[in-house]
Amino acid sequence: MARTLAMFTDTSVCIGCRACEVACKQWNQLEAEEPVWTGSYQSQVHFTDKTWRHVKFIEKKDDKNEPKWLLMSDVCKHCNDAGCLEACPTGAIYRTPFGTVDINQDICNGCRYCVSACPFGVVSFNHGTGRVNKCTFCVDRTSQEMQPACVKTCPTQSIQFGFRDELAKKARKRLADLHAQGVKEASLYGEDTNGPLGGLNAFFLLLDKPEVHGLPPEPRLPQKPIWKDAGLSAGTAILAGVGAIVAFRERGGGGGGEQ
Amino acid sequence: MPNLQSPNWPLLIELYFFLVGLAGGAFMAAGVADIFGGTKDRVVTKVGSYLALLAMLPGPLFLIIDLGMPSRFLHMLMVAKPDTTIGLSAITIGPFHIKPYSPMNLGAWALLGFGVCALVVVLTLYLEDSRRARNLGPLRGAFGAIGILLAFFVAGYPGQLLAATARPFWMNARPLGALFIAIGAATGLAAIALVLSLRGAEASGSLAKVRRAYTVALAIQGLVLIAVFMAVARGGPAWSVAQGGLLTSGSYSLAFWGGAVVIGLLAPLALEMRDGFFQGYRRGPGMVVLASVLILIGGFLTKYLMFAVGQA
Repeated sequence: MARTLAMFTDTSVCIGCRACEVACKQWNQLEAEEPVWTGSYQSQVHFTDKTWRHVKFIEKKDDKNEPKWLLMSDVCKHCNDAGCLEACPTGAIYRTPFGTVDINQDICNGCRYCVSACPFGVVSFNHGTGRVNKCTFCVDRTSQEMQPACVKTCPTQSIQFGFRDELAKKARKRLADLHAQGVKEASLYGEDTNGPLGGLNAFFLLLDKPEVHGLPPEPRLPQKPIWKDAGLSAGTAILAGVGAIVAFRERGGGGGGEQ
Repeated sequence: MPNLQSPNWPLLIELYFFLVGLAGGAFMAAGVADIFGGTKDRVVTKVGSYLALLAMLPGPLFLIIDLGMPSRFLHMLMVAKPDTTIGLSAITIGPFHIKPYSPMNLGAWALLGFGVCALVVVLTLYLEDSRRARNLGPLRGAFGAIGILLAFFVAGYPGQLLAATARPFWMNARPLGALFIAIGAATGLAAIALVLSLRGAEASGSLAKVRRAYTVALAIQGLVLIAVFMAVARGGPAWSVAQGGLLTSGSYSLAFWGGAVVIGLLAPLALEMRDGFFQGYRRGPGMVVLASVLILIGGFLTKYLMFAVGQA
């Protein structure tokens, strides 16, 4: 396996220009969509089958009751423990040699189970093609040693791309710098490979709590407790089966039916 | 609550969940009657096996219609060139793939196996009854025994499938698989009781055995339903727990308390208890028709509500 590729989005330098959204649409040939009124400058509520990069405009009041902006360019996290990949019954969703998560459009049959299994609501169903899609980290560019379209276009280097280990080091340094400058609220989300979902291959530097950015603070792999669930199911099956056996047994059987 | 997306599965999928559960329960009852029952209980084996096959048959069709690309339904089991990096403990054998952490994949395999078992069992019964073959018992026993395991699997996997998602309510409702198995057993047995009583079976004998069995299954259904809510209440995060409120006090509460709990669970339980669950039944087919219809309605509603609240 090649070295894992990753994306680091530093929301502290995002200016909300949405060039990444546009570049993503252009490169991946995704149609334009009617903007939705979200109460802010955001063009869509969330990811759609035609919006794989999504800039969030979050308005908040600070300590002095002054309005402040939280800008964040969101993207598929390419989780190390990926709920969509585990859920997929067809094997269309696979782990690339670069450690990212991709959907083979030639295999996907549009069952939409992965849509329900993504803790970030990334995977989207396209009614036109009858298949699901999401950010690929521009696999057709990265395989030619080019950067993903959003990274290439970002004018403030809010979005960076590279080998995961190097990028994580960079992110930690940026966090330390911000903390030293007194930006105590800054934190990293998804950078830790010992953290939730085995770490995210698209990780973020956030200026507020994850939930303010619409991110789950403790995302979980939905399939993890599946064998425990199966134990409960087996126990119930045995109970129901024994109940039927006792009822049908010819002799004894709590009085039986034929007296 | 984070922005999550819903699979927007239509009612057709829920109808499949109900029918496949009923099929599993009926097949289980048929097998138990075959192995443990007397010669008179052959009618239960017959009705149960035929019901199981009939109830499971439209299932694959419903599932295929709902796919975004119905022509690719076989991809649930096989693709020309399976990738090797398709998930935890995934096994690929030639063109086939088995994904232990994908209940939908395992369910597709189980449905295939269950369909084969149900078909073979029904065929043995048909051949014996039409006197074209004699003593197919051992063959039926073998397919029946494997079939019972698969019957429980197909009844339960839809619940496990829902619990293994990131959707609110479902993600914490870990005993959903157990609940679906209990509902499958209760509705499968109730469907058999309904057919038997409509055909004018006597109150005693096989019908009484089926009633006893469905009453037990119904009691298990009630207990597991409580366990589901305990699991949801104990789980986190808060927005997922709050989703359960839609059932207990929100927009689904009337259907839940009135339909799923009172009409579909407590009423048939009370009817059966009053009629002599412990002593031997007094009333005839009329009451059994009422109780089994209530169980079927309750089972459908309970599954529907669990299905709907996770997509709301």
